[in-house]
Amino acid sequence: MFDRVRQNYMAGTLSVVGGLLFWELVSRLLVANALFLAAPSQIVYAIYQLTITGEMGRHVAISSIEFALGYVIAAVIGIAFGFGMASNARFKQALQPWISGFYATPTIALAPLFILWLGIGIWSKVLVVIFLVLFPVTINTEAGLRTTSERLIEMLKSFGASRSQIFFKVSLPSALPFILAGLKLGIGRGLIGVVVAELFGSRAGLGRLISQSADAFNMPELFAGVIVLAVAGIAMTAGFGWLEKRLVPWTKD
Amino acid sequence: MPRKVEITSLSKWFGELEALKQIDVAVEQGEFIAVVGPSGCGKTTFLRMVAGLEPATSGTILIDGQPLRGPGNNRGFVFQNDSLLPWRTVLSNALIGPEVAGSVGPVERQRTLELLKLVGLSGFEDYYPRQLSGGMRQRVNLARALAIDPDVLLMDEPFASLDAQTREIMQTELLRIWEQGHKTVLFVTHQIDEAVFLSDRVLVFARRPGRLQENIEIKLPRPRSLALKRTPEFIAYVDRIWTMIEHDVRTAVLDEHV
Repeated sequence: MFDRVRQNYMAGTLSVVGGLLFWELVSRLLVANALFLAAPSQIVYAIYQLTITGEMGRHVAISSIEFALGYVIAAVIGIAFGFGMASNARFKQALQPWISGFYATPTIALAPLFILWLGIGIWSKVLVVIFLVLFPVTINTEAGLRTTSERLIEMLKSFGASRSQIFFKVSLPSALPFILAGLKLGIGRGLIGVVVAELFGSRAGLGRLISQSADAFNMPELFAGVIVLAVAGIAMTAGFGWLEKRLVPWTKD
Repeated sequence: MPRKVEITSLSKWFGELEALKQIDVAVEQGEFIAVVGPSGCGKTTFLRMVAGLEPATSGTILIDGQPLRGPGNNRGFVFQNDSLLPWRTVLSNALIGPEVAGSVGPVERQRTLELLKLVGLSGFEDYYPRQLSGGMRQRVNLARALAIDPDVLLMDEPFASLDAQTREIMQTELLRIWEQGHKTVLFVTHQIDEAVFLSDRVLVFARRPGRLQENIEIKLPRPRSLALKRTPEFIAYVDRIWTMIEHDVRTAVLDEHV
């Protein structure tokens, strides 16, 4: 059992190492043109260079602030909307078409418009992030509260529980895994939102780093930006997995 | 002294469907009453009405002479499916009743710990429901209902989802626990032998409309052990009840397959 787990880890590690090696060889021997591809070693070097000059820090800081602001605002509003929709049928009816519509629309295409409205600074990106994160959080919160087991509610009623007791002791904890899943979905969407919005127009940020590297045909720096984003995404999702294990241990064995 | 539970011409309609017709039942303090009948005879509805989870269309339910107004802490409900909260430990699940009533002090905690011991779960207080077997979860279900120290215990087919051996163990365990407190019990089941084995009286329900067909006193000695199930007296009771409901059960089975 334990051996199998270790072997699975080995498979993952081997696959990553092998892939990187393949990439390195292809870019050195086959493509061998820094305009089209950068080798992993060059990318690592670029990350190192950008870090010691402080450039990477500046871009990461800006993108992080944009992401964090948008994400937190969207999470708060999304959870509030979800609660509102679960507790009030009319509110849900009023909101549902907008939520479904916006969730399905590539709202990221509105980024240029937001930049026109709010300028080239961080707030246009924050708004993009809000638009991308808000809807999965709202939808999941509402679904989580709606699917609360009738049996459990009935059980609590048999002890004479009030509506608020039912909410706090049953509905909320049973919705928590759904809310966390919505927030987890929001991480990837939010990161994409930040970068794409920055591509459309910005003074700093990882998206800015990527677009200016592309303009200069500096592939190692372009990949440096992409890699940092990927690592941030993986780290945050993994962190969320850890948080889920802590907060909702009953959903997994 | 008013009777523990006094039910008078209790009727229930679900829209056009007459679920229960004119039920009259009186239950004495400390009596163990089983309710059997084919599916669709309204036995669970009957129990839910006594619990206050389902309003009556007409008729009255008195408990200690007081008219029933919704659920209350003088009745503890044991559910068919355990209905345990998966995010709570065994102890915290068992304490939900006192918690809802707003009184979880050292006294309640101590009493609940003793109840968990009584149902054979000492050492499992900090386990989560998913870590327990079906039988153990039903023990928590029972302890949870007892934790509010109810006068009347309402049990809705609590052993239906258990395998045959576990069910028999749970039946003897239930009798052992009942002997200690002699609470009034209303026990709904579709298993006739279970009803006879546990109870002082069996209420036999018929269907279409759901109604009380027969009220059979079980004059078997207590305390009872599983060996009782092989005695001719026991088998005679089971046969008698089975003959009563056989026709109804057959039509119920046919209805379900159409």
